[in-house]
Amino acid sequence: MRGWLVLLFTVAVVFPQPRRERSPEDNNPLAGRPEAVEAGRKLFLGVCSACHGPNGEGGRGTNLTHGRLVRGVSDRELRNSIRAGIPGTDMPPSPLPDEPLWQIVAFVRSLSTPAAESHVRGDPDLGRGLFFGKAGCTSCHMILGRGGFLGPDLSNIGLDRSLRQIEVAVLDPNERLATGHQGATVTLANGTSITGVIRDQTNYAIQMLDAAGRAHRLASQDVRSLEMNARSLMPADYSQRLSKAEIQDLLAFLSRQAVRTRPEVAP
Amino acid sequence: MNILLLAGLLVAQVRYEDIRQGPSENWLTYAGDYAAQRHSPLKQVHRGNVGSLTAQWTYHIDGARKLEAVPLVHDGVMYVTGTNEVHALDARSGRRIWRYRDDKVKRQSVNRGVALLGDRVFFVTSDANLVALHRTTGALLWQSQYAETSKGYHATLAPLALKDRVVVGVSGGDSGMRGFVAAYSASTGEQLWRTYTVPARGEPGAESWADFPVEWGGAGTWLTGTYDADLNLLYWTTGNPWPDFFGGDRKGDNLYSDSVLALDPETGKMKWHFQFTPHDTHDWDAQAFPVLADMNWQGRPRKLLMQANRNGFFYVLDRVTGEYLRATPFVDKLTWASGVDAKGRPIEVPGMDPTPNGNRICPTVRGAANWMSPSFNPETGWFYFPALEGCDIMTSSAKKPEPMAGFAGGGGERIPSEPGKFYLRAIDPLTGARRWEYPMTGPTTMWAGTVSTAGGLIFFGDDDGHLVSVDARTGQHLWHFNMGQPLSASPIAYMADGKQYVAIAAATDVFAFALFEPAKPVPLVPETVK
Repeated sequence: MRGWLVLLFTVAVVFPQPRRERSPEDNNPLAGRPEAVEAGRKLFLGVCSACHGPNGEGGRGTNLTHGRLVRGVSDRELRNSIRAGIPGTDMPPSPLPDEPLWQIVAFVRSLSTPAAESHVRGDPDLGRGLFFGKAGCTSCHMILGRGGFLGPDLSNIGLDRSLRQIEVAVLDPNERLATGHQGATVTLANGTSITGVIRDQTNYAIQMLDAAGRAHRLASQDVRSLEMNARSLMPADYSQRLSKAEIQDLLAFLSRQAVRTRPEVAP
Repeated sequence: MNILLLAGLLVAQVRYEDIRQGPSENWLTYAGDYAAQRHSPLKQVHRGNVGSLTAQWTYHIDGARKLEAVPLVHDGVMYVTGTNEVHALDARSGRRIWRYRDDKVKRQSVNRGVALLGDRVFFVTSDANLVALHRTTGALLWQSQYAETSKGYHATLAPLALKDRVVVGVSGGDSGMRGFVAAYSASTGEQLWRTYTVPARGEPGAESWADFPVEWGGAGTWLTGTYDADLNLLYWTTGNPWPDFFGGDRKGDNLYSDSVLALDPETGKMKWHFQFTPHDTHDWDAQAFPVLADMNWQGRPRKLLMQANRNGFFYVLDRVTGEYLRATPFVDKLTWASGVDAKGRPIEVPGMDPTPNGNRICPTVRGAANWMSPSFNPETGWFYFPALEGCDIMTSSAKKPEPMAGFAGGGGERIPSEPGKFYLRAIDPLTGARRWEYPMTGPTTMWAGTVSTAGGLIFFGDDDGHLVSVDARTGQHLWHFNMGQPLSASPIAYMADGKQYVAIAAATDVFAFALFEPAKPVPLVPETVK
């Protein structure tokens, strides 16, 4: 089965232009159902991940998490591409019947669907309490001005990331280090040291942010040494610190952080 | 929270008093200071050494096509915008500290920059959201939608921060909307006041529109205003009435289009107004920011307000009362008015409206001047700005106005046999006399402005994509650099770590220049991983 689903991206080119109006028959009958997404994820891991990666982020095959690549086509067009393959590419046809194909479509859609638009189990109010309390997230992360400086701002995380991406970031922060947030200690030529995160680093200059939110602009000639953290500053043990239900509550809260979906300020 | 609040206070604050003080090592507001003189006190770079200015760094903004932002600089960090995004840079190396990008905005308009206050950075998205970010991290603090795209609005300007508030305006006047200026709380994002530039029925000035619908009158407010902290008066300019080129449905002066408004920043209440071009049919927005200076006017000290208007006249007003003092033509190609009367009203030449078949009118639709930043050097006492000598064929259409559909009631066309020409001109505001001019070559497509420095220099972007430096007293060329890109922004001067820089955003990149120094070898930093 290796190779099928490769270059799914090219469906955007293969399908006729201009795009016709979509009808209800174009929609996935299983769209948005958590159990279908989960079943699709298992199928995907079995037959698609060799090329598209376990999280759909690409490898030999195309990255499927960029919304604009798969959002331009209907569910039916996605299913047809998986079923028939894409001529002229490494993407082979699939013998699967309709239901598992729709499950895969549901999972592929979830990869690029912002968490704010996904169904998330859990209680966001309890999640808020965890975020600003017991879970300790605000020692590094900020939401609308409340919290710390070193981690990525999460004010709009529900629109910026899919549910899956948020879940991986919470449970396995070392799976991918957030660019611009890698922990480090710099020792300056005058002997003082600065601990914080590296926002940018070249052979000639380093930009750092410390835990107090101060930006440091350093020229390399003023730096004696640089010690980088191999692992994320984010604790990797949230699956032990929090119960499964609490994790879901936290994910539900984070998924709702979407500034643009809030009501407009009245004139 | 206490620890976090304390941490926040450790971040160096941009205080209102700092902005009020004017440019120093920093460049803290769109026009350099509230008076909008765009005059930097820095003189490390001066007439005698500007010839050895060299490029220090370039910062590319992905996807940019026409940057119009004026970068702001505080404490060695530069803040610059593209469309729906803000970048914070190390102003010495040009390397990025953070970037904030809102890719959920459906509209893509140009953006002219940020405002700084306290620990915050403010900017507007194309769909008129005012956004507050944390200054050292770019974290989102609040966001307020202050105008709706469904009512014809969008946004391009750099906000103006003063005291505890942030003031914004709106774009969209070329296809119908109702202009306004609004102030928001810098700490919470709540609206404090809103003042419309087209009066509602029954309000003073409404009679100047006949029966034209208020909500489509235009009079946009798309450029940052200026402010007199002593008088506590905000000066905000307004754009054209809509439809731009056909006035038959809006008989009257169309207040407060093409005007400067003096507003109380506490309440938004209008103290006075002055209309440069009543009943405009040429799309001559009065948008250039007013420049404030205290000068000896005909034997007595006065607080003056100056503007080189798109309609071809250089105006001087008393900014305390709004009294008109003088208007002088600053271009030779000026056919629509023979002068300005004693009350400040143009003396219009009959037959100089656009017509269905086209009418040759000077200046062009782009205007004899426009929003490109002017500057004022208190040492010479002169006003420096790019002037465009040119004429267009302007047409009109009496078609029923359809708002938000790109309809402007006509338009303007270039005259192939009569190409225009840009000049950098120096004017003495006390007499209106031209002191010198520096002609530019090029396609007359640039939108770049000027900055003045205490080194006796004027830096400006020219019509061929050069950053140029000339002597402020003589206009003599001293230095230039080919940016390789068209210019639509204005330069600034700042100091970082003891070194003076001049920077400008070109079409797709920000460039910074400083005096030449031989490079020294940089040792590699020993790096370990723990």
